[in-house]
Amino acid sequence: MNKISKRSKILYLLVFAFIFGVCFLCITLISNAETWALKRANQHIYDKGQLISAGTIYDRNGVVLAETVDGERIFNENKTIRCATLHCVGDLSGFIATGAHTAFKSQLTGYSLINGVYNIERDGEDKDLHLTIDASLCADAYNALGKNNGTIGVYNYETGEILCMVSKPTFDINNKPKDIDTDDTGKYDGIYINRFLSGVFTPGSTFKVVTAACAIENIPDIDSRTFTCTGSYKTSTGVVKCNGVHGTLTFETALNHSCNSAFAQIADELGNEKLTATAEELGFNKRIQVDGINVAKSYFDLTGAVSVDRGWAGIGQYTTLANPCHMVTLMGAIASNGTTPSPHILENSSSFFSIGSSTIRYMDLTTATKLSDMLRSNVENYYGDKKFPNLEMCGKTGTAEVSEKEPHTWFVGFSRRTDTPFAIVVVLENSGGTGIGNAVPVANKVMQSAITLS
Amino acid sequence: MSGAKWLPTLILITAFQVISVGQIAFTDSGINMRIISVFGAYIAIEWIYTITSSIIRKKASPALEFIAFFLTGIGLLIVASVNEKLLVTQFIAFTLGFFCFMFLLWLISDMDRAMFMRTPMAIAAVGLLIITLIFAKNIHGAYNWIGIGSFSFQPSELVKIAFIFVGAAALDKLQSTRSLTKYIIFAVVCIALLFLMRDLGTALIFFFTFLILAFMRSGDIRTLILVCVAAAMGAALIVLVKSDYVIRRFSIYRHIWENMDGSGYQQTRVLIYSVSGGLFGVGIGNGKLKDIFAATEDLVFGVLCEEWGIIMGILVILCFALIATHSIKCAVGCRYAFYTIASVAAGGLLLFQASLNVFGVTDLLPLTGVTLPFISRGGSSAISCWALLAFIKAADNRTWLGSRYNAEVVE
Repeated sequence: MNKISKRSKILYLLVFAFIFGVCFLCITLISNAETWALKRANQHIYDKGQLISAGTIYDRNGVVLAETVDGERIFNENKTIRCATLHCVGDLSGFIATGAHTAFKSQLTGYSLINGVYNIERDGEDKDLHLTIDASLCADAYNALGKNNGTIGVYNYETGEILCMVSKPTFDINNKPKDIDTDDTGKYDGIYINRFLSGVFTPGSTFKVVTAACAIENIPDIDSRTFTCTGSYKTSTGVVKCNGVHGTLTFETALNHSCNSAFAQIADELGNEKLTATAEELGFNKRIQVDGINVAKSYFDLTGAVSVDRGWAGIGQYTTLANPCHMVTLMGAIASNGTTPSPHILENSSSFFSIGSSTIRYMDLTTATKLSDMLRSNVENYYGDKKFPNLEMCGKTGTAEVSEKEPHTWFVGFSRRTDTPFAIVVVLENSGGTGIGNAVPVANKVMQSAITLS
Repeated sequence: MSGAKWLPTLILITAFQVISVGQIAFTDSGINMRIISVFGAYIAIEWIYTITSSIIRKKASPALEFIAFFLTGIGLLIVASVNEKLLVTQFIAFTLGFFCFMFLLWLISDMDRAMFMRTPMAIAAVGLLIITLIFAKNIHGAYNWIGIGSFSFQPSELVKIAFIFVGAAALDKLQSTRSLTKYIIFAVVCIALLFLMRDLGTALIFFFTFLILAFMRSGDIRTLILVCVAAAMGAALIVLVKSDYVIRRFSIYRHIWENMDGSGYQQTRVLIYSVSGGLFGVGIGNGKLKDIFAATEDLVFGVLCEEWGIIMGILVILCFALIATHSIKCAVGCRYAFYTIASVAAGGLLLFQASLNVFGVTDLLPLTGVTLPFISRGGSSAISCWALLAFIKAADNRTWLGSRYNAEVVE
């Protein structure tokens, strides 16, 4: 009998297994809590697949972009603002992955592991989201885009706030096109994508800023060099065409005129390794985040590239792709001595999401100062300050050739005025024309609006 | 004298129940007298039983019953908040179970009487299962319900009691090979019948209980036979598993999110709503899981987590570990091997069933559709759970100290 008594201890095995299982269950529940609780099937939060209970989303001036009234989600009453802020605010069904309704779902709904959904049906300041964007600036940017698709972003390089973030094509959330998911003419292509955060485009001549940075760091006598442009640059493996015949140029005037011959030559001289190293220092192939939202990586790869490829890459063609949000932070860094605050769109973001470092360092002070002066020279001596009145603007245009379609036109730049520390990126998708002709006026409109609003 | 020991615990349990009932019974639309009277009766039973038993069995510890009262109370509270119409039925089932507990305790207090009962019990159990198989209603894929008029019950739950009873009795003392063989046949028949009813969950529980019983008997040549039979059953299990119904259940295992609105519906909803409650719950009656099929039965753990909070959910399921540990403690130094074996088997059965339920609905184990002991709504289940407690209670020597059976203990 004693023997049998001892055997009863076998049951401890089951007890231990059970307790192990319970611990495992706790870990599983805790680590997946947010994902599971915010599933669309959760009727505490969703009704018929639509987010019902969530806090109010405000812009930087307290303008309501979305709020819940009597269990229904209401958006801003102005159609232009709704269209302009669609990608920033997001939809209720989660199609726009980077929109606030999806990306900041847990904060908006008030869900937390500790209180669960307990706060959801209760109103409270803590569920509200205050965005750094300015709704009327977005509306102005949206209007400035006109018929073009593309994106405009304005970023304060002193604070890291994103003031404007507009992406087109877009739609009115109160009047979603019926054929949006069935259309095959392509007019809604990528309509759910926020091009500022998730888009990547061939950068064209805006990439010359990177090539220039590499030259400043690696060619000591770059300023005393001269380049001769005959309309193209010949390498042993092919020819890089220029947009004109520029004759004799210095490093600075080569950038002013955006001379392909000169920059292809510089890129060729620098070589694959140095170009790649600088591009990566300047944020290519690297991930940045905006309040926890992953921004699409800019892409630069010269693996196995021969001299003509390198030449094209040096002027922003070849396989290179740039993300607008990344480019605008790069401008911010040039404007502020090489280091720029991480971009964010939540006003109180520091307390919530700042897991990574709060600043991004792209280059040293010398390079930043030099580039800043060169970009200033572009506007001052080439585009003309008339095109950017009262801004002390610095910048670079780009006309990016893409296969089988009209080129994208770009403008990236920033105001050097200390009271308007804004950097801007404009991408007009397949707009045709040139950066100077198309993107510059759009950038100016938005910048003028930005300085009056501030 | 021993009263001082149990009083604070019982007061705490009662306070917990009174506060919870308050939340359910007092609503904007008035006071629900049905809920108040049922819980009034329930709390009265708790106190009358504890006081009476402290007088009759002076040395007995009511710890085990307290755990069961606590769990049953939560089950009743959940029924009251989700489907108040079924509360009275569930309460009656508990009362029946409670009487079964006391009756069984009396029955096995005399070993001669217990030994005498073993054959009739075995015959009754097999008979009941056969009747079930013949007259069963198909409810949700399994043929394990019998209906008499508007009243229906699940005989396999009651057979659990007989299974342990017969098993412990057959293995007690030195039995002849013949009686052991008889028991093995009995076990095989029971499990086979459950398979035929497609009640896989209960069959697994029986099989597990059989393994415990077999182990308790090990060290003996007969163990080999038991193990062989176990292996054969395992093989049979694999063969029988190849029915569509079971395959469907197993194929979804660890893939519930891929089929959220199909075969993974119940588990995904349990997980979604379990975490929705956070650590402290959304409050009794405020949950959403209660609207989903089988919320108060198989999915009750999810309701518990959602409405009462994850902490409460975990504490409640840890109670089953406590019952099992208690059954091991009691099993040491019993008057008869019968008590030792039955106690461990009952404790193991309850914990195993709780594991299958909790880990099944949370997708850590395949879903087998068994109930959570004491808490899930269901009359047959309530009766069998309480009756099984008698086996553990009987193994606790303190139960008999100071009673007329005391003499045997001394001896």
